[in-house]
Amino acid sequence: MSSLNFHLHAASVLAPGMTSLAQLRSICRNNQPPVSADALPLPSPDMLPANERRRASQVVRLTQACIQQVLEDCPFPVESLRSVFATDEGTGEVCQQVLQAVTTTRQVSPLVFSNSVQNAPSGYFSISWRNRQSSTVVSLGLESFASGLLCAVTEAIACAQPVLLVAYDPPIAAPMDELLSIREATATAWIISSGAKSDSTPRLASFALELENAGSHAPSAWPIWLPTRWSTHSSASALAALGLLEAPLATSYRMTFGTQHLSLQRLG
Amino acid sequence: MLSLSASTVVHPSGYGKSTLWNAVVQGRSGLRQNSLDWCDLPCWLGAVPGVGDTRLPAHLTAWDCRNHRLAWLALQDASFRSAVALAVSRHGSHRVGLVLGTSTSGMRQTEMAYAQRQTSGQWPADFNYRHSHSVDALCRFTAEVLKLQGPMTGVSTACSSSAKVFLTAQRWIDAGLIDAAVVGGVDSLCLSTLHGFDALQLLSTTICRPFDAARNGLSIGEAAGFVLLDRHPAAVQFAGGGESSDAWHMSTPHPEGQGAQSAMVAALTAARIEASDIGYVNAHGTATPANDRSEAAALVSVFGAQGVPVSSTKGITGHALGAAGIVEAIVTAQALEHQVLPPAANLVVPDPLFALNLVLEAQPALFQYAMSNNFGFGGSNCTLIFKKAD
Repeated sequence: MSSLNFHLHAASVLAPGMTSLAQLRSICRNNQPPVSADALPLPSPDMLPANERRRASQVVRLTQACIQQVLEDCPFPVESLRSVFATDEGTGEVCQQVLQAVTTTRQVSPLVFSNSVQNAPSGYFSISWRNRQSSTVVSLGLESFASGLLCAVTEAIACAQPVLLVAYDPPIAAPMDELLSIREATATAWIISSGAKSDSTPRLASFALELENAGSHAPSAWPIWLPTRWSTHSSASALAALGLLEAPLATSYRMTFGTQHLSLQRLG
Repeated sequence: MLSLSASTVVHPSGYGKSTLWNAVVQGRSGLRQNSLDWCDLPCWLGAVPGVGDTRLPAHLTAWDCRNHRLAWLALQDASFRSAVALAVSRHGSHRVGLVLGTSTSGMRQTEMAYAQRQTSGQWPADFNYRHSHSVDALCRFTAEVLKLQGPMTGVSTACSSSAKVFLTAQRWIDAGLIDAAVVGGVDSLCLSTLHGFDALQLLSTTICRPFDAARNGLSIGEAAGFVLLDRHPAAVQFAGGGESSDAWHMSTPHPEGQGAQSAMVAALTAARIEASDIGYVNAHGTATPANDRSEAAALVSVFGAQGVPVSSTKGITGHALGAAGIVEAIVTAQALEHQVLPPAANLVVPDPLFALNLVLEAQPALFQYAMSNNFGFGGSNCTLIFKKAD
């Protein structure tokens, strides 16, 4: 197959010690992981109606803050954005709350149940910004970002509309964290569009995306500048891919994607 | 245009698409009063027969959970397996993709494991989080069973999950990434959804009655369904789909069904047809007061009062949540193939507030296009349009 080209117009980053794209790029240039071990402060989601704001789960706070950051640099009207949310276990502490309820009192909070769907963050995105476009949540374990990127790019091309791609991992609550060790929140949001050469909309970079046979190349190594404790985070691949913004043209980042690889190459 | 080259389904009325179709047209509901020995809620629900006794083969036991037992049962359909094998031989295993929806994956297995963790302090030795709980477990299990090596993803948008898979697969095929795709969805009964819907006061204590004046909530079901999409000629084709968001509320639909309207209009645009070309709509029709009211308003807006024939088949299957989309896509495709309008199950007195042309009994009809609606929590809407091949 030929490669799928797309433009990256804006990106946000939210992780401990890495709270903007500029900070990620600086850390990448210095080739040293961030030193902060502090928990990521998640602001109240002011964009939500007051009754929803009070009840927002950690993953909703994480994703809405990340989206708010990327929208500051988004060259498209927010109501025009389709969206793809990519996550591994995207309910965070809510899953544990439901399990605790059904295995003890069986009294599930209606609010917790409403927030227990994987697409709660995408639902709150549409409510917060009155966005009525399609929103899809995809998941493929540690390869969730790869599948989300492929979905977002093919959607941008097929629908000729810009797409908001959000890759995120909320912390997993005890005792579920004994099964999936994700103790810090990490997230990034990208604004992409199909890579028409004639498109003069401001952009950070252009990329080519391609499926490759796994045997043709090895997947990219874990970058020195990303904390190794994030190796269990599906969204860490997206953070690593943003390192291409500091790399020479034609540099590729290869991710495992099922039995194949997904190659992301910087074009310009 | 993509074809539905093969399909398979297991549902509360039995195994196979013929069994499903016969149950739908004959009004034989698979819903029963709850007799689960692990849930004491006074409700009706749709359990797939035999799932509790199903055992996965030795090489797949690491994947064991109720969700994968359902998937395994559906994947035993010989004609479906042959069609997938033919697609693999024709295109190569790397050129057949996999896009599957689920809302709760193997949650029942996690509930049992969590209970043991709480009492003993240890997770069960045979509990495999990645192979049963993760959203992607269904994809990886199915890929293993069908020997597929193409790109895959799980879609989890609540009750629209296994409708949206058609759109994702279509985009991958159109982009040249793959030549064919297995799409589908599985969701299984678990305490989380049963008690969750009960907490929201959306669970009916009697059999669900979509669009009935006396409807008082939904009946949860479970199912597994798969469709092979490719460009090989077949009786029914996928004409196009539309997606939208309500931007309204997490668990309550927009009162005028604005999001549902947008999804239906987008689907008509994608299929390049007019509303008048649609001969039947399989409604989402969950039987909750608000959902049916919202969808009825949307249908009247798009098709006019007393317009297109409409029915909900959830009175037969129950609401299979993340598997509802694929089950109802298979029902809709069979309606086209048989040229029969499926009746609205359990409908006694149509709600007089709805200006809908509800199908009261199975009836023959000539129609080329049919629509299937699925709407979910988070305001996630998806409409699919299928076409009888020329």
